[in-house]
Amino acid sequence: MSISTPAGDKRRPSAVSTGKKPPAGKSSSSSTSSTSTARKPSTASKAAGTAARPGGKAGGAGGGGKGRKPITPVKVSQGRSWGPIAMFVAVGVIAAGIIGYGSWAAFKGSQPWEQKAADIDGIVNYRDNPDKTLTEANHAWGPLTYKLTPPVGGNHNYNWQNCMGDVYDAPIANEHAVHAMEHGAVWVAYKSGLAADQVEKLASKVRGNEYMLMSPIENLDHEVSLQAWGYQLKVDSVDDGRIDQFISALRQNATVEAGATCSGGITATGTTPRDIGKDQQGG
Amino acid sequence: MSVSVESDPESPEIDDAVPPARRRFGVAGWLAAGVALGLLLGLVAGLLIVPSFTRPGEDSAEAGFARDMSTHHAQAVEMGMLAHQKASDSDVRTLGGDIALTQQAQIGMMQAWLREWKLGPTGSQPRMAWMPEGSAGLENGLMPGMATDAERAQLRSATGKAFDVLFLQLMIKHHLGGIHMAEEVVKLTDNAEVLRLAQGMVANQRNEVAAFQQLLTKLGG
Repeated sequence: MSISTPAGDKRRPSAVSTGKKPPAGKSSSSSTSSTSTARKPSTASKAAGTAARPGGKAGGAGGGGKGRKPITPVKVSQGRSWGPIAMFVAVGVIAAGIIGYGSWAAFKGSQPWEQKAADIDGIVNYRDNPDKTLTEANHAWGPLTYKLTPPVGGNHNYNWQNCMGDVYDAPIANEHAVHAMEHGAVWVAYKSGLAADQVEKLASKVRGNEYMLMSPIENLDHEVSLQAWGYQLKVDSVDDGRIDQFISALRQNATVEAGATCSGGITATGTTPRDIGKDQQGG
Repeated sequence: MSVSVESDPESPEIDDAVPPARRRFGVAGWLAAGVALGLLLGLVAGLLIVPSFTRPGEDSAEAGFARDMSTHHAQAVEMGMLAHQKASDSDVRTLGGDIALTQQAQIGMMQAWLREWKLGPTGSQPRMAWMPEGSAGLENGLMPGMATDAERAQLRSATGKAFDVLFLQLMIKHHLGGIHMAEEVVKLTDNAEVLRLAQGMVANQRNEVAAFQQLLTKLGG
């Protein structure tokens, strides 16, 4: 079909040149226009195939011989060629669009969470850090020391902090919070003294969502610090869009204990770890 | 001849009428055909070569249900475990353990679906957005039937018969909210696995609500 466009254009001068023939009656003109219509594709393809100008001319003469004016074939050739072209362009564009969008969405959607995390501006990935104490995961009793504030992993208490969307209004023990992160929780920490409406904005992202917990920290170096196992992002506004990005990418995904739960943990606040179960263990 | 001249533009059975008719449908007609064919071709090819066309997408009812019901179930597990550990009535203890084990297993199934569908556990839409007018059913951001932070704290501190009664009351409310969500996804999905689990939840939790009510009567709650 694409051939018909240039062929049709080529035909125009030949049709004009044959316009010298005496015009016939109106009815014969419209009937010849149909015969010329029927003839034209073969003529055009012949002309395109042989690329011989006399051949084309002869064909044109044959077609236009009975025709009244050269205008009629020109109009017909426009109607015939642009329609199919528009159709095939539409078919191509729409089909390619659907497939392209589908493929792109599939690729984008199936991006691993690690990639989504890596794309967050300012996030720090401590899983790759050569200091493996940052993300080692043994159980221990009593107070533990952490190199990062807030910590993103490391040895931790036997008991985890309850992370069923719990919004704690006072500081909690790192030893329990780290264990909650091992289970896949995102820990939203904010600097003590943050305005109540700001705290509420954060709480609305946490409350009712398992694998989330939130608590204040004294003298935190930023307004808000988000932690998941091995990852940290510090921001200075509760309206920072990266907070939702962090939660979306890492909540539950960052677990190093797939299937571990958030209920049944410590629900009390206070920065001293609670060694519940130590007596029974004899440790 | 002169008759045919007049009837020319209108009469479809005569060859002469074809070219004007073609011109009238012209580009617009071909374009419409092209759009239709393009959509068909794109969808057919897409179904064949793009896997995401055949599985629930990011904002689908199936994904929304899997995520939201996981969260809803997680709270039932929390309350069920509390009952299993501290209820004074043995029937309440048994029911609490049953709920916790069953619903934790169901969370595992729903999370496995999400992984299979290449979707994350956290959606970009608000809770319940997959249900018609679903987000309007949220109370303080909580899905229907979910216990508030205050109710959870109350349950943790309650003991004896008071605990049993509060647990049953909270769990009836929780189950009714869960049944509503499961019924909604049954209406919206044609995914066999989702249907099977959701229909099971509706039937099973209805029976449990009846059992809770009997226990409440027994305990005089």
